[in-house]
Amino acid sequence: MVIWLFAAIVGFPGRSSESQAEDQRSLQHAAAGDSGGLAALYDRHGRAVYSLALRILGDEGDAEEVTQDVFSQAWRRASQYDDSRGTVAAWLLVMARTRAIDRVRARRVRPEGRVQDDAGLTLQQLPSTNPDVASEMMAAERGQRVRRALDELPFLQRVAIELAYFEGLSQREIAERLEQPLGTVKTRMRLGLMKLRDALVEVQP
Amino acid sequence: MNAAHDELRHDAAAYALDALEPAERAAFEAHLGSCAECAADVRQMRLAASALPHTVPQVSPPPSLRARILRQMSAAPDASTPAPAVVVREKRGLPAWLPIAAMLVIGAGVSFYAQRMQARVANLETQLRQAQAQVAAAERQTLEARNVAFRAQSAMGVFAAPDVARIDLAGQPVAVSARARALWSRQRGMVFTVTNLPALPPGRVYQVWVVTAQAPVSAGLLTPDASGGGSVYFETPVDILPPVAVAVTLEPAGGVPAPTGAAYLVGKPSPL
Repeated sequence: MVIWLFAAIVGFPGRSSESQAEDQRSLQHAAAGDSGGLAALYDRHGRAVYSLALRILGDEGDAEEVTQDVFSQAWRRASQYDDSRGTVAAWLLVMARTRAIDRVRARRVRPEGRVQDDAGLTLQQLPSTNPDVASEMMAAERGQRVRRALDELPFLQRVAIELAYFEGLSQREIAERLEQPLGTVKTRMRLGLMKLRDALVEVQP
Repeated sequence: MNAAHDELRHDAAAYALDALEPAERAAFEAHLGSCAECAADVRQMRLAASALPHTVPQVSPPPSLRARILRQMSAAPDASTPAPAVVVREKRGLPAWLPIAAMLVIGAGVSFYAQRMQARVANLETQLRQAQAQVAAAERQTLEARNVAFRAQSAMGVFAAPDVARIDLAGQPVAVSARARALWSRQRGMVFTVTNLPALPPGRVYQVWVVTAQAPVSAGLLTPDASGGGSVYFETPVDILPPVAVAVTLEPAGGVPAPTGAAYLVGKPSPL
């Protein structure tokens, strides 16, 4: 319900770029049982999915398993993909991040267990709401520019963002680890993300 | 609603980064449904967060993974893989004069042909060597990217390590205002950061030591920046004993196997 309210308020743009249209066709073919569709999807996004999983898990075997899982889910659950919420590429990367973080959190064996339900994407796991920018981001050059923007962030902003996104720590855990007040961590995350967003806007044509 | 907004609006970034605890997330989502300001904010934050996967070093998965993924699909009962189309060539009858003509052509051109073949083989060998050099270069790049990925993962991983211990270092009489902190994890290594170190005299370098019950182990050399700050990531050797202290000494450029110079910073572990 919340999702639809949110969608209505934000007014997701329904535009899609050429590569997104190609991805959607490949996804439909894969869902219909055509392995060529899956192969095309893998050839375009396998490297990005694997690299993200490897960064989060630090283990090549685990990263391969997550990648295999993501592409297996892609054709089995193709019907769950909704293009109004983001690009196919962003959908695949969100699945990769969620599955990799689930493994990290399971390794950490925390008593309160934040391991998330596998069945579908919750609102907070939705990818970018702007398909055009997200698909544009696939270009390596843009990735590098965001990487530079991330590198240029003050230490606390960068560490807070990376601990959340790549290590799966909550903001409270980050505050404890960095011995910072919770409010400071919230502010640092916000400032850091704003700067990354500015870097994204700069690289838009 | 306004009181809730004032309290919750600061959670948009953590929400986009999936860094809210379940109860916090539920509260934020409930608010989000009725607050256009926070919804717009989340949209911006999520746009930035969606770029994060593209900041990681891009590493090619092994080719076997692609085959495994495609095999898994064709092995599934509900997937109907179309059979590959078989191309059937029609067989045409050859003109009767062709073998003779071919023999004549071959006979006349055989030496020319042999020369051409030699040139072609030489050319192919050159191409093969070039291709081999390219493969070697690509392998080096892949290895390099893996190392970068591994180091980034390791340094950040220390913060998240379950066995992390903190070691605060105090400035010694030669550097009273210097401060440093080491985060130590036996599994994931040590991250060491320092501020206010005095500028280095020429030909000297700071060396960081992990002091164990056995002996001090060098954790790396440190050349501070203009403000006397710097950091070192130390990959823990497998057989290292737990640290009883971490210290920084001034040593000849290039470093030394065991500390010889004055101690600038010293600290002992405390539980995190």
